[in-house]
Amino acid sequence: MAAPGGGRSRPTLLILVAAALTLLTMQYRGVEPLAAFQRGVRDVVEPLRSATDRVASPFRSAWNGLLDYDEVVAENERLADELARLRGRRLTAEADAELLERLLGEVGIDVGGRRSVVVRILGTPPGNFATHTIEVDKGSDDGLAEGMPVVTAAGLVGRLETVDRSRSTVRLATHPEFRVGVRLVGSQDEGLARGGGRTGFLVVDAGIRLDAEVEAGEVVVTSGGRSLFPPDVPVGRVLDPDDDAEFERAVVVEPAASLENLSFLNVLLMADEPTTGDPSGLRGG
Amino acid sequence: MTGRFRVLALLLTAATLQATLFDEVRVDGVAVEYLLLVAVLAGHHGGPERGAVVAFFAGLLHDSVGVSPLGLHALAFAPVAVVVGHLSVRLAAGARGLAALGLLAAIAAGVAAATAIGTVFGLHPVDGSTLLGTALVAALMTGTVALPTSRIVRWAVTGGLPVDVAVDREPARGPRATAAGRVGRR
Repeated sequence: MAAPGGGRSRPTLLILVAAALTLLTMQYRGVEPLAAFQRGVRDVVEPLRSATDRVASPFRSAWNGLLDYDEVVAENERLADELARLRGRRLTAEADAELLERLLGEVGIDVGGRRSVVVRILGTPPGNFATHTIEVDKGSDDGLAEGMPVVTAAGLVGRLETVDRSRSTVRLATHPEFRVGVRLVGSQDEGLARGGGRTGFLVVDAGIRLDAEVEAGEVVVTSGGRSLFPPDVPVGRVLDPDDDAEFERAVVVEPAASLENLSFLNVLLMADEPTTGDPSGLRGG
Repeated sequence: MTGRFRVLALLLTAATLQATLFDEVRVDGVAVEYLLLVAVLAGHHGGPERGAVVAFFAGLLHDSVGVSPLGLHALAFAPVAVVVGHLSVRLAAGARGLAALGLLAAIAAGVAAATAIGTVFGLHPVDGSTLLGTALVAALMTGTVALPTSRIVRWAVTGGLPVDVAVDREPARGPRATAAGRVGRR
């Protein structure tokens, strides 16, 4: 049972709260030793975490198999259907790819010209509220740095938020604090998209003219320019063009990359470009 | 082993467990809040002042092994430990059931407090129902490991010795018990 000491607990608590607030303020001001300290602690714990991952993996699989058997069966059927459809499309796709490459070459877009690192998803970071954030199995030892874009073959997934020696966390495009400059391919309007949180969508609520003709299904890509993200990475398709908006337009975009069932991702190495700075993903706003 | 080393060993072990074993065992995506449990139990066994200090460092370790800014969980855990410390000596003396309920409530409150502070700093985009569900599941899961942990925390923060007792002397009335309601000498 508790010892007394209540008389001194108030000043002690005030001092501790002040210390915590000071640390938080320093962290938000980007005091490097604090970030280095956190990275150091995570690097020390990382071998233990990897070992635990390996030991727990079979048990986790068995547990998930027991609890989610129906979902696993449904997923298997869905994948079999998808495989059949993809086989059917393969010949068409080869011809389309050749045509796409020729067309993109004509307008000066570099297809697949960037170096990338394939990373495996490990799960969510420790803690219960790291929503819209995932952990991957590579870090600064593999050339990764904070701010690098993370994509799949389907399109944009997010960007690297923290990078340790052998692990990194990815802020997903659906995170409410995620920002990316986008271009609507049909109307050529450019705007700023932000993550829609639990909705799983992105919302372009800045930059799109009220009278711009935006159609549902229109493709949305990154705009490049001052953005940290390279141009022309597919972001998704317009779900709701918000035609009826009177003052501010909020175009809803469905992400091209499925963020729910990811296993492997590509991190684009931005060696020639600065990768730190404005966490919004935009240089200079 | 001195008291500080005991607490240090406890906190480092708890942080390692939090980042490894307890991070693997998730129900509906929710994991055990082991460092918060240590903070709450430190308040329960060590009193508000000692509990606040242990909770502060438990919070710092939580931030270090996770991805939250340094100080966020320390800011949430320390007040929870102080409240638990005060309530333990006033309400739950000898009542195990009440203590168990209080423990679950304190864990849920700690999770909610950390989330609220995280929301202020733009970190935890969660709605009310998700927060409530997560706090409840986290409290129940954490409660399952509370009993063995309680013994370890009591050993660490009290060293197996009788708890500290203090006397505030008031010349007119003589010795007066502190908030614990017990009289003794520090």
